[in-house]
Amino acid sequence: MSLILDKKIYSSRLIIGSGKYKDFEQTKKALDASGAEIITVAIKRTNIGQEKTKKNLLDYISPKDYKILPNTAGCFSAEDAIRVSLLARELLGDNLLKLEVLADKDTLLPNEKETLVAAKELVKLGFSIMAYTTDNISLAKSLEEIGCISVMPLASPIGTGQGIINPEKINKIIKNANVPIIVDAGIGTASDATIAMEMGCDGVLLNSAIAMSDNPELMAEAMKYAIISGRKAYKAKRMNISPIAIPSSNKKDAIS
Amino acid sequence: MNVILNGKKIFLEKKLSLNDFLIMHNLKENNIVIEINRNIITKSLWHDYELKNNDKIEIITAVGGG
Repeated sequence: MSLILDKKIYSSRLIIGSGKYKDFEQTKKALDASGAEIITVAIKRTNIGQEKTKKNLLDYISPKDYKILPNTAGCFSAEDAIRVSLLARELLGDNLLKLEVLADKDTLLPNEKETLVAAKELVKLGFSIMAYTTDNISLAKSLEEIGCISVMPLASPIGTGQGIINPEKINKIIKNANVPIIVDAGIGTASDATIAMEMGCDGVLLNSAIAMSDNPELMAEAMKYAIISGRKAYKAKRMNISPIAIPSSNKKDAIS
Repeated sequence: MNVILNGKKIFLEKKLSLNDFLIMHNLKENNIVIEINRNIITKSLWHDYELKNNDKIEIITAVGGG
């Protein structure tokens, strides 16, 4: 039941984001309740001001205890994404990276062309790239072919919680893939995550679904079971759908 | 001389090493990475790097994100 990423084995197939929580304490509680072993972080300027006593996110979520997956959030060009990637590697001493190059600030959809350009360059630079992408089937294959260790198509746009908009496309991406496919962005609630896993996704990455719920810790736990449930159902292979009713007990033994 | 720290201009009275600058401004901590004029300055070089007029310093860290 484990997920293998960059030659490391993870028992949880859930990856959670660290954004939008009330505070670091809540982030940590949600992370622990989710059972996730990998947590994404953004790489940004530090807050320079009077709040010197304010702790850093990495003080709460230590790279010793969790796999920290830096992302290139906020980048709109390959050039910016490469710059942020190099900073992330220097900060965390690790080649694992979630590549995210966005097209514009309104839709927050991935910029397909720049994602591909950045991925090519970063693979050359020795990074292990998990590429956030659209549900474009041929692009997903291209990202795999240039050496990304995982391809992460969106369920729906970032922060929308709309669930999987194009299940057929995600299905095709999974069927075509030789690397782990992790649905990233757009998951709204536990059933969305279960559906992704039932389809055969290797994992799910989500943030807002937990952080923006009324009770992040409880939703994190719900997500933990949603992922386990969906994976088991996928492996068990669901029954066929029948257009007509079929009785659950044997007809011939009916009392008549 | 002036340096630009995370986009803000800062006046320096005298020449300083990057390390002294960080201490002086109470910025030295573990979970940061520093870029000057778009080049990453590895921690082991903070002592040796002498700040120059108009250096663009970026102090970067991990923050919440998905």
